[in-house]
Amino acid sequence: MAKLSLTKAAARARRILLLALLGGGAAVASIETAAAQSPADVVVLAGPCASCHGPDGRSPGPIASIAGRPQTVLLEQLKAFKSDNPPPGTTVMSRLAKGYTDEQLAALATHFSKISATAPAADAAKKKGK
Amino acid sequence: MAQSNISRRQALAMLGGAGAATLTLSMPAIAQQSAGRVVVVGGGFGGATAARYLKRGNPKLSVTLIEPAKRFYTCPFTNLYFGGLRTFEQEGHNFDDLRRVGVQVVHERANDIDTKAKSVVLSGGRKLPYDKLVLSPGIDIRWNAIEGYDEAAAQRAPHAWQAGPQTTLLKKQLDSMPDGGLFIIAAPDNPFRCPPGPYERASMVAHYLKTKKPKSKLLILDAKDNFSKQGLFQDGWKKFYADNLEWVSRAKDGKVVKVDPKTLEVETEFGTKHKAAVLNVIPPQKAGAIADRAGVTNQSGWVPVKPQTFESTQVPDVYVVGDATIAAPMPKSGFCANGQGKVAAAAIVETLAGRPAPTASWANTCYSLIAPDYGISVAGVYSVVDGKIVEAKGGGVSPREAPDSFRKLEAEYGVGWYNAITQDTWGSRPAA
Repeated sequence: MAKLSLTKAAARARRILLLALLGGGAAVASIETAAAQSPADVVVLAGPCASCHGPDGRSPGPIASIAGRPQTVLLEQLKAFKSDNPPPGTTVMSRLAKGYTDEQLAALATHFSKISATAPAADAAKKKGK
Repeated sequence: MAQSNISRRQALAMLGGAGAATLTLSMPAIAQQSAGRVVVVGGGFGGATAARYLKRGNPKLSVTLIEPAKRFYTCPFTNLYFGGLRTFEQEGHNFDDLRRVGVQVVHERANDIDTKAKSVVLSGGRKLPYDKLVLSPGIDIRWNAIEGYDEAAAQRAPHAWQAGPQTTLLKKQLDSMPDGGLFIIAAPDNPFRCPPGPYERASMVAHYLKTKKPKSKLLILDAKDNFSKQGLFQDGWKKFYADNLEWVSRAKDGKVVKVDPKTLEVETEFGTKHKAAVLNVIPPQKAGAIADRAGVTNQSGWVPVKPQTFESTQVPDVYVVGDATIAAPMPKSGFCANGQGKVAAAAIVETLAGRPAPTASWANTCYSLIAPDYGISVAGVYSVVDGKIVEAKGGGVSPREAPDSFRKLEAEYGVGWYNAITQDTWGSRPAA
C-alpha cells in the first residue's frame, strides 16, 4: 500500500513539475488575478474556514486540518469538491466550494499552505521536550 | 471635495510619517494609545470573535470586551442537552483565553451608549471611551407580542431561546413531565434567531420522549407554513418520530396568539385550544436592548448595517454583528455572527490604520441533529454585490436521498463544527 501511494505521489509531483514548466503563461495570469486581492482580503476570505476547520485551519476535531498542507493538494481537493463529481464521502464542501471562483480557491489554498500545521504554542512545547 | 481634501491630508501624513514611525517604535505606550481603543459589547459568537480578531489584526489596539457573564452558554448544541446527549456545562465557555491574547474582559453590563461623546456606560458606573464600538447584542424577547406571554409567564412556559437559566428550567420541566404528557413548542414567524432551531429542538425532545417517556407526544404549533431544511426534517421525523411528533403549519391553524401561563393552555389564530404538560414558547424577537440605547435599530426592531463592514447605517463608528442585524440572506446563526465579527474586526483594523476595509466574504454551515448519528446541514457563501449581501451559487441543504452513512458523517461534522467554532471564538477546548 505504502509503495503504491509513494508511486502515486511521485507521479503527481512529475505532473505538477510538467504543468509548472508548460504553464509559464498561466502562472503569470494567476499572479495578476491574485494581485487584485490584498493580503487583508485573503484573510477575510479565509475567515469562515476556521469555523469548521479550526483557528488557522488547525482542526481540534473530526473535520480535516488544512493548515500547512501543500498548496497543490489543497487546490486539487477544492476543485474536486467544486466539480460535478465530488470525491466519495463529500458532504457540505461540494455545496460550499461552488460559491467561490477558481481564483478565490487558489488564494485559499495558498493561504492555508503557508500556515504552520502546528500552533506556535505547540511548537514551543515540543522544543521544551514536553 | 471633502474626500479629495482628506486624501491629500492622508498623502501628506504618509509622506511625513517615516520619522513618526521610528518615534512610536521606541515609545510603546504612546503607540498603543494611537493605535486606537475598541470596545466590544457582548461576549457571544459575534462579540468574542470580533475581540479576538481585533487583537490578531493589530496587537497594539486596546480591546475591551464587556460581558456580564463569567461563563457564556451557547444556544447551539443546547438542543442536544434536551435530547439527553450532552450536559449543559458542555455548552459553557469562559473568557480566560481571550484575556491570554490581550483582550481586557470586563464582567459588567453595558447600561448605555453615548454615541456623541463616544463612550459606554457600565453597570458599575464607569464610562469607557472608544474610537470604534462593536455591538453584539444578540436578541431580546418581544414580551406580550403573544397575548399573556410576558417575563413572568416565561418562568412557567420557558422560551429557552437565550441559553442560561431558561434552558435549565425547560430541561427540568421535561425531566419531571409525567409519561403521557404533551410537550408543545410554539414556533415564531420569520425573522428569528436560528431558523432551524425550533425543529432541531423538536427532534431532540422527541428523541428524549421516545426513549424515556414513550407514551408522551410532541406538538409543534407554527406561525409559518415553511421552515428551514423542512423536507429533511420531515423525512427524519417520519423515520424516527412518526408516532410521537406532529407539526401544525399556520395554514392548519398553528399560529399561537394567546398563552395562559397558569393552565399552560394556548390558543391559536382560529380559536383552537391546546393544553400542554410542558409549554415551550419561542416568541417573536428583536435586537438586544443595548442596540436601542445606541440608536442603531430601525422601526423593525433590528439593526440595518453597511454590508461591507457591518458598521451601522445610522450611527458612525458603531459596528453591529450577529443575530441583531438585518443581514439576510445570511441567517441569524452563530456561524454567521462569528463571520460578521471577523469582517467587522478586519474593517476596523484597516480603517484605523488609514487603509480601505477589505472585501467582505462570509459562509455559513448550520448542522441540525434529528436523532443520534443522524445529522443534516444547510450551507451558503455570501458576498457583497452592488451594495447588497447576496448568496453565491451552490450552497443549499443536504441531499434528500442519502445513505445513513452520510447522515452519520454530518452528525459527526456537527460536533466537529462546534469544537472548531468555540475554539475560534472563545479559545475553548473540548474536555477529553
